[in-house]
Amino acid sequence: MIQLNHRDGRPIYEQIVEGFRKLILSGALQEGDKLPSVRELSTQLAVNPNTIQRAYRELEAEGCVYAVPAKGIFARAPGELRREKIDTLKRELRETAAQLRALGVTPEELRLELEESTND
Amino acid sequence: MIEIIDLYKKFGDFSALNGLSLTVPKGSVYGLVGPNGAGKTTAIRHLTGVYRPDGGKVLVDGEPVYENPGVKEKIAYIPDEVYFFPQATMRDMAAFYRGMYPGFDSELYQRLAGAFPLEEKTPLKRFSRGMQKQAAFRLAVSLRPEVLVLDEPVDGLDPVMRRQIWGLLLSEVAERGMTVLVSSHNLRELEDVCDHVGIIHEGKTLIERSLSELQDNMVKVQLVLPEGTALPPDLDILHESRVGQVRTLILRGSSGELSAKIAAVGPLFFDLLPLTLEEIFIYELGGEDYAVRDVLL
Repeated sequence: MIQLNHRDGRPIYEQIVEGFRKLILSGALQEGDKLPSVRELSTQLAVNPNTIQRAYRELEAEGCVYAVPAKGIFARAPGELRREKIDTLKRELRETAAQLRALGVTPEELRLELEESTND
Repeated sequence: MIEIIDLYKKFGDFSALNGLSLTVPKGSVYGLVGPNGAGKTTAIRHLTGVYRPDGGKVLVDGEPVYENPGVKEKIAYIPDEVYFFPQATMRDMAAFYRGMYPGFDSELYQRLAGAFPLEEKTPLKRFSRGMQKQAAFRLAVSLRPEVLVLDEPVDGLDPVMRRQIWGLLLSEVAERGMTVLVSSHNLRELEDVCDHVGIIHEGKTLIERSLSELQDNMVKVQLVLPEGTALPPDLDILHESRVGQVRTLILRGSSGELSAKIAAVGPLFFDLLPLTLEEIFIYELGGEDYAVRDVLL
């Protein structure tokens, strides 16, 4: 379920965190679905168990998953995550707009562009 | 847990190890890296009890390894050139290992036939190099070792078998807390499987850290500064190159703190990139006068 890309410059644990975030956001992992155990994922990806542990800790700190002692790690509802993602994308949109402005695109052109892209 | 403390070894006039120290925590996968001739294999031969130290200590779980069968039965070792008895088949070698190691798990050995489909009755010497390695892994894992020592383990193995073997070993690490020490030049692969790394050079330890600390201790920065602006004065620059306006720096420090420092001088553009283990290896050794030399032919 998680794909590692070795050409990706990001550390492996970050790729794992991002992979699960995507799965939860897209609904591929529903609330209460069990994530693979550290041992399973470590065997499957051929990645050090401590790296997996670190990724799971980070996901837990972000509130994407919760741990039940002696049972495993489970996915949470994506509500919080979705809100965060929306915030990030909005910020990116603002930055892109600022860059376009710096390149001489007028606010009017930007508005048109935005309307066009949201019409369909 | 493996501790090598201030280890010295001389062969004639040649000092192979000059006060080498390593600590491998229990349940970790430790990557031992270093240039050719740094002393990796010599260190491993001490760890497996083949060589007697000239000075210093080699301890596994607090006990010396040399001439100590009680410790050696907990250690499995796969050398870079695997050795089997002449004419010995898989079955013969399994019988030998069963006799030598009290921990040999015959049931596991049978189950591993699924992972390593090797003909049992053919002399191992007739197998290809890669298949001999597979045989060595099947035997080593069957011992249920507490410590597994690997010297260039995946040389000659195909990509499917590499993954198969690492998956198997890492599941033993996760489940039983097996400790693995692996010497390899395949840094790309070590980056996946290791959690600790030791870089050795000329028989001494250069650095020893957990992989995450190592990766958070050095960054690559690309930046363009406005005309007339200088870099922040207190940067620890390991390497610098320049193409047009774009400077590429290798800096020591964590990404958070460097990012703040650089942002403070107001660059036109800057980007922080994590370093691969291969880059860390090259730049750490660059400081020790071991670098790629430009040789013109």
